[in-house]
Amino acid sequence: MELALFYLSALIALVSTVLVLIQFNTVHALLYLIVSLLASGFIFYLLGAYFAAVLEVIIYAGAIMVLFVFVVMMLNLGQKTIAQEKSWLYPGIWRGPFLLSSLLLLELGYTIAQAASANLGQVVDAKRVGIALFGPYLLAVEAASLLLLAGLVGSYRLGRPLRDKVSP
Amino acid sequence: MSTDALLALMPLIIMAASAIVVMLAIAIRRDFKIAFHLTLAGLLLTLATLSLAFRHGAMPVTDLLLIDTYSILACALIVASASVVALLCRDYFQRVEHQNEEIFVLLLTAVLGGMILVSSSHFALLFLGLEILSVSLFPMMAHRTSTSLEAGIKYLMLSGVSSAFLLFGMALIYGEFGVLSFRLLAPWAVSHNLFALTGFILILAALSFKLSLTPFHLWTADVYQGAPAPISTLVATVSKAAVFAFLLRFWVFTQAYRSEILVEILALIGAASVLVGNLLALRQTRLKRILAYSSIAHMGYLIIGFVAGSILQTGFLLETTWIYLAAYVLTNLGAFAVVSALSSDERECDDPQTYSALFRNHPWLAGIFMIHLFSLAGIPLTIGFIGKFYVFAASIDAGLWWLAGILVISSGMGIYYYLRVLRLMLLPGVAVTGTATPAMRWILSSLALLILGFGLFPQPLIQVIQSLPKP
Repeated sequence: MELALFYLSALIALVSTVLVLIQFNTVHALLYLIVSLLASGFIFYLLGAYFAAVLEVIIYAGAIMVLFVFVVMMLNLGQKTIAQEKSWLYPGIWRGPFLLSSLLLLELGYTIAQAASANLGQVVDAKRVGIALFGPYLLAVEAASLLLLAGLVGSYRLGRPLRDKVSP
Repeated sequence: MSTDALLALMPLIIMAASAIVVMLAIAIRRDFKIAFHLTLAGLLLTLATLSLAFRHGAMPVTDLLLIDTYSILACALIVASASVVALLCRDYFQRVEHQNEEIFVLLLTAVLGGMILVSSSHFALLFLGLEILSVSLFPMMAHRTSTSLEAGIKYLMLSGVSSAFLLFGMALIYGEFGVLSFRLLAPWAVSHNLFALTGFILILAALSFKLSLTPFHLWTADVYQGAPAPISTLVATVSKAAVFAFLLRFWVFTQAYRSEILVEILALIGAASVLVGNLLALRQTRLKRILAYSSIAHMGYLIIGFVAGSILQTGFLLETTWIYLAAYVLTNLGAFAVVSALSSDERECDDPQTYSALFRNHPWLAGIFMIHLFSLAGIPLTIGFIGKFYVFAASIDAGLWWLAGILVISSGMGIYYYLRVLRLMLLPGVAVTGTATPAMRWILSSLALLILGFGLFPQPLIQVIQSLPKP
């Protein structure tokens, strides 16, 4: 049964990712991307990596994707974009993501109901992740922090205003 | 972590610290000169600590890093070429006030990424090192003009794709064996496991992207042409040297050289890169595109030496590839440095019009550039010849006659287009305005002298490389 759950959520992840790629509209694509991230979070959950699953939902599907949606919707302001946004959110577009995520919800409900008997692999909780990160993988954490530094400085450099194009 | 381990890590720590110091200095006061001097000081201090760590010998630092003489030598090569690139950046970016100080922070993080990459002995740090390197590179490429933005975006997209390949390969290998440490993968080479083989091929593909080997070379010319000249230098030397040094280390640690399939795939990739690089360079007239295609071909020669060394399975692998790598880095550093010295923030020295008549206007720069072109073509008395000689000797020793034949044909093609650049430099034409600063003149002359010196008397270089223990 766990295998069937895994295949179903993997299928949802694949279908929603393909739908991300074929959308004409950025906001619709992002809706499917959120479903895709939720599905991969659910796969983590099935493997017993609860902590990774929660992080996937909170950080990717929650924070980063919501930010994406807002940035894309707010990029160009004005009367024209309000009409544009209305056309983005025409009723009916919610059906696809809703269908896929309700399938995921059903799976989640089923697993929680079965939790006592289900064999969900080796459970990796937050404590073990923390011990691994600050024990053997300490250098990797440091390297990741430097990667973030490089990304930060790089995005500042790309985003800075050019002095000769800005009035003093 | 013990004191010894911290001592072995010192070069990496100093490099990371200098990136942060330069960033803070920029935050306090935007001053191009201060940022440059701090960067150079950080790089030189790192070189000094590398020589200290060299005496220490091999030192595993946790499970993730292994600092040994091999990685220290590779780090020294990276840091030394980055110092030259820092100097190029100073001359290129300071001419106009456009707030370019962040270039130095990114330069330092790129070097740090390269150092982590060559010291890694674990997939986690391999990935992080490679990402730090490429995330630092693409904001440096995207610089004001639309062609350079295009270069930055192309590099970003393709390095994203190659990271995906890399992660998929790592996942397949981990799924099969449950280990992430390179040394523990060594028993794999004798088994014929399809998952692991696929994983290794995917990892090779990802590294080939970074080395611009043939099926994955499509980004090279556009990125080299679009990026500012010092950044092209950085990509051609530091990034490629780091990735190749890592590939060699990974290859030896995992004993992948015992796998016939992987060696055959690499032989095909090498032959294709040599042919494609040289053939595409034939019709080019833009200087940076010629250098880009020639760097594809040179990476192909390097891979051919690598394949021959793997078949021979002796210390020859290390000797051939390292001498070729040293020759490649020295020569390309010099050649790109001349281009960079003639270019500025506003105008790239790339068109035939800008570099024709170079011999009349800048006889000294033109002479230096001629030496580098000769070394790229592999003409005797230069280090390029020694490197090519090693590759020939290794491929004939290994009985790879078809590869040796391809080498002969493509070297002939190489001479044609390198000498055509020389002919254009002799034509009459308008004056180019770029000049080289005294520090630049000094660096360029010493690079040319090194190329000639090692070409005439390569023994010291060979001895250093022979003294390396197998990684």
